[in-house]
Parts: sequence; C-alpha cells; structure tokens
Amino acid sequence: MYLLNVVGANLRKVAIEMRRYLPNTISMIVTIYAIFLMFFLGIKFIGNPSSAEANTQYMIVTTVMWFLTLMAMQGIGWEITTEATRGTLEQLYMSPVPAWFILFARMLATILLNLVVYAVILLLIMATSSQWLRFDLLTLLPLFFISILGMIGVGFMVAGLALIFKQIQAFLQIAQFIFLAMVAVPIGLSPYLELVPVVRASSMIREAMTSGVSLFDFGANAWLLLSLNAFVYFSLGLLIYKWAETRAMNLGLLGQY
Amino acid sequence: MSTLIELEAISKIYKKRGGKEKVAAVTDLSFEIARGEIVGLLGPNGAGKTTTIKMICGLIRPDEGHVFVNSFDIVRERQKALRSISAVLEGNRNLYWRMTVQENLEYFAGNRGHSARSVRSEINRLIEQFRLESKRHELVNNLSRGMQQKLAIAVAMLAGTEAVLLDEPTLGLDVETGYEVRELLRAIAQEGRTVIISTHDMPVVQDLCERTVIISSGRVLVDDRVSSLMKLFETKAYSVSLAKPLSQMQVTRLKATFAVLSFADDYKSFTVTLEHDEAIYTLMDILRLERTPVEALDRTSIHFEQVFRQLVNGQVKNHQMRESNHVLA
Ligand SMILES: Nc1ncnc2c1ncn2[C@@H]1O[C@H](COP(=O)(O)OP(=O)(O)OP(=O)(O)O)[C@@H](O)[C@H]1O
Ligand SMILES: [Mg+2]
Repeated sequence: MYLLNVVGANLRKVAIEMRRYLPNTISMIVTIYAIFLMFFLGIKFIGNPSSAEANTQYMIVTTVMWFLTLMAMQGIGWEITTEATRGTLEQLYMSPVPAWFILFARMLATILLNLVVYAVILLLIMATSSQWLRFDLLTLLPLFFISILGMIGVGFMVAGLALIFKQIQAFLQIAQFIFLAMVAVPIGLSPYLELVPVVRASSMIREAMTSGVSLFDFGANAWLLLSLNAFVYFSLGLLIYKWAETRAMNLGLLGQY
Repeated sequence: MSTLIELEAISKIYKKRGGKEKVAAVTDLSFEIARGEIVGLLGPNGAGKTTTIKMICGLIRPDEGHVFVNSFDIVRERQKALRSISAVLEGNRNLYWRMTVQENLEYFAGNRGHSARSVRSEINRLIEQFRLESKRHELVNNLSRGMQQKLAIAVAMLAGTEAVLLDEPTLGLDVETGYEVRELLRAIAQEGRTVIISTHDMPVVQDLCERTVIISSGRVLVDDRVSSLMKLFETKAYSVSLAKPLSQMQVTRLKATFAVLSFADDYKSFTVTLEHDEAIYTLMDILRLERTPVEALDRTSIHFEQVFRQLVNGQVKNHQMRESNHVLA
C-alpha cells in the first residue's frame, strides 16, 4: 500500500509540472504534431502512393515510441543530474523507501502521463491524415506494460551513469539517435536485435497498431522473447543503478555540485 | 538514557576527481548520542562536519568504521535505520523550487509512503507552526531564503522521526529570521526529539545545545556539556582595562602565559582566563614590566564564541582540559 502512495505522489508531481508548465507542454504537443504533419505530407506527396498509407502509419507509431523512449530513458538522466546538483536527490535518499523505487515511480509516472498526452496527439494526427490506427486494448495494454519495464531498465542505466558522471549531457544528445534507431528498426531484420532493448517491443506495438496483429496472433515465442528482453534489461538496469549508487555513496557524489 | 546514534571509529578520505590528491575529511571519529539529546557539532571550515552528518545519514559511506542508528547499521540496514532519522542538509537547496510549499511537503511525505490525505492535518499543523500560511501555495522559488529554510525544516519534521540532523540551519539568514529559526529549533527540541546541529552560529549552541562535539581536522577535539565549558571559562575570565596600550613584548608574554580570550583593537583592554588564583600575580608582573597602569580588573561574562575559539586554537592548557572532563564526570 505504501508503495502505491509513492507512485501516487510521483504521478501528482509529474502532473503538477505538466500543468504548471502548460506552455511547455503545449509547445511540445504542437512540435510533435508539426513533425508528424511534415512526415505525413512528405509521404503523401513525394512518396509512392501505393505504400503511402503503410508508411504513414509506420511513421506515426515509430515517432510516438521514440518520444516515449526519450521521456523514459533520457528524461531520468537529466532529472538525476539536476536533482544531485540541486540537493533534492539527497532528500529523496533520506526516505525509508529505497531510492530506486522512488525513481521507478517517477519514470512510471512520466511514461504514463506522457502516454496520455501522446494519445491526444495521435487523435489529432489521425484526424488530420484520416489514417486510423487500431486500438486493441487487450493487445496493447500487455504490450505497453512489458515494454515500459524494459524502457525503465534502460532508464536506470542512464540514471546510474548520471550519478557518477555528472557530464552526461553530451552522451544523452547522441543517445537520442541511438534510441530512434532502436524504435525504428524492425525486429525481423536480424536475430541479434533480440539482444537490444526496446526493438522487439516497438516492432510488436507497431504491428498491433498498423496491421492489427492481435494478442494471440503474435504467438508464444514472440511474447516470451519480449518478456525475457524486458526482464533482463530491467534487472540489468537496476543492478547497474545499485552499483552506481554504492559508488556514488563511497565518493560522496549524491549531493555534489 | 539509551543510545540512539553511535559513531564507531569512522574515517573518510576523499579522492579528488581526476587528481591523485586525497583529503582526509574525517579520521577515526567516535561519539554517541543519547535519545533526547541536543548536540551541537562544531568545528572550523572544512573540519568535516558535513561529511560526518552525511555519514550518519548514510548518504556518504565511511571508508572505515560503522554508524549505528537505533542499533541498525546505516550502511547494511539503511532502510530500517532511516526510520529514525531525518535531515536538513543544504537547507534551501533540498527543496523543489518549482513546486509550492504544500506540494513539497506532500511530495516528500508521499515518497515516505504516506498518502496525501493521511498527512493533511500534520501538514496544516506544520505550516501554522512555521508561519508559512500565507505562502502555502507559493512556489518555493519565490520564497525568501529564510522561508525556504523553514520549509526545509518542516519537511524534515513531517517525517516524524526520533532524531533530526541539521547542517548549518541558520547559515545565510538575517538576524531576525535566524532568531525565528532558533526558536523553532527550540520548540522541536522541547518535543523530546534528538537534535544534532552542525553550525558556526555560536548563540545557537549557547542557547539550545546541551552538549557540544567540536571537531577539527576530522577528529574530536572536545566532547563536553556546553554548560561545563562555559563554567570552566566563565569562573576564570577577567577583563582588564589599561590606561595605555600593551607593548608588543607584553602581548607576546601574555599569549605565552595565559589563555587570552581577546585583545581590544587598541590593546588597551583584554580578556583573559586565569587558571588558578595565583595566576593574577603573574598577570600583574607582566603589566609591571612596562608600568602599565590598570584602570579596572573585572570578572567578566563570556560568550560561547570565545570558548569555541579558545578550544579550537588549542590555547587551552592540558590540565584545564582534564579539569573539564572532571566536571563532566
Ligand atoms: N565530495 C568531496 N570530494 C572531495 N573533497 C571533499 C568532498 N566533500 C568535502 N570534501 C573536503 O573534505 C573536507 C571536509 O569537508 P566538510 O564539508 O565535511 O567540512 P565542514 O566542516 O562541513 O566545513 P564547512 O564549515 O565549510 O561546511 C574539506 O577539506 C572538503 O574540502
Ligand atoms: Mg559543511
């Protein structure tokens, strides 16, 4: 129960910030919408008309996944860095609730609330392009749930690095494009992609939303690989974070500025 | 009284990033704090106060030694130990500047696992006690430094822990706010909580603390009751006023012979502690060297500030220190 309260508190914090910085939130929505629109018009007028529909849908889902990954995996890196500099990180570490759980709650809250925002953007885009994606909740909910765990795993890795290396901004700039590649590349391209985080998750979500592949159509193998990948990255992320945390406590880095 | 916090021979050496340079911030530090005690942790800049406090909180791990909080090892059983302590570390830096007063309180309570509803009345009580009502919905960013400091203390209070650690709670506050914070700390102390305050603010120590642990270069220099230290110096403190300034030679002699508390800028008066009754004749002998006329010789009251400076400058004669320990026993 008290862990639920931690999640609740973080949902409230993220919501408060989204509302308080409404101009930021709105400009983010407009930016993403504009990017979609550009892609959409580009595909429609320059691309091959026979594949335009598929391309548009591919692009829509990929972009949503990219922003979601950025939020989850990169956002936490920025937050850790600023909170360590500000001093709030130490205050979080004074809680009897383990800090990793608080961070988990923060990432979860960020992802969930952003999903709501993206749903709004998606509706706008679908209305504009009259390309209606499929929303089979029975398939999408478990897909998102498992994918989010994997994303949070990577988020923990970034957070761990941020604890130790205060100058990870440069790394994060480059990571944006690595994340884009991860969400854009189809899983079928190479078996080695199973080892990369988020690739399978993104591919499956895309298939579900564009081609209407359902929960049962994917087959047990796909679900197993997806879960295994998410589980491994979540555990690995947590392990790396805990290691970084110990190191930061040894070096006195939690509150350094 | 049972022990709540126990430091067992802790040491911390920082390695400067990039370089090979090492800083021994804390060396073989041991002391205990009993339940309900109000302790002032003092020491000159860089003495290792902040490092010590953060090691008690488990935010920094000691290289050697152990810290026990409520008999839980802060490193090995951190989560259990943290149920008994909260901290105000960098004061105003420990808050979310983009959230309001109430939101900060709710968020930190939430991260301890409390629902907003369950802490509502306690938050209201604290907001009232800390006189933050008018700022309840104000962003922390827009508060004065003193208000921010009060909120940071309120956040620690909301945790409801047995012990509170405060690192420089009055740093950077104007006299009035400093006084207000001091009164709040007094109220907290009277609630029966254990309070550890690291500070340079001597009136805070003189007013609030029962005991002081003075550290210097990461080691315990003095660990004694504030009243004993005050008494020790007070009974022997004299102020001497002269009709003409002391000569350089007299100043040197005085410094060599006595624990001189302070000289006036014009060297026409000074305060001195006399270790035994006979010492007054030695003092007179030094004044006689230049036939310096004495205008007045009085017992004087001293401030803890002077005691502290004496102790840190190491000008206290060894037997005085022994005597001080005797007073404690
Ligand atoms: N993270 C760190 N890395 C390297 N050296 C550090 C670090 N933190 C503190 N130090 C050094 O350790 C020593 C003790 O510092 P500390 O902050 O504990 O002292 P302090 O008593 O709190 O001083 P002040 O009164 O200035 O606050 C100082 O020499 C300081 O420069
Ligand atoms: Mg300090």
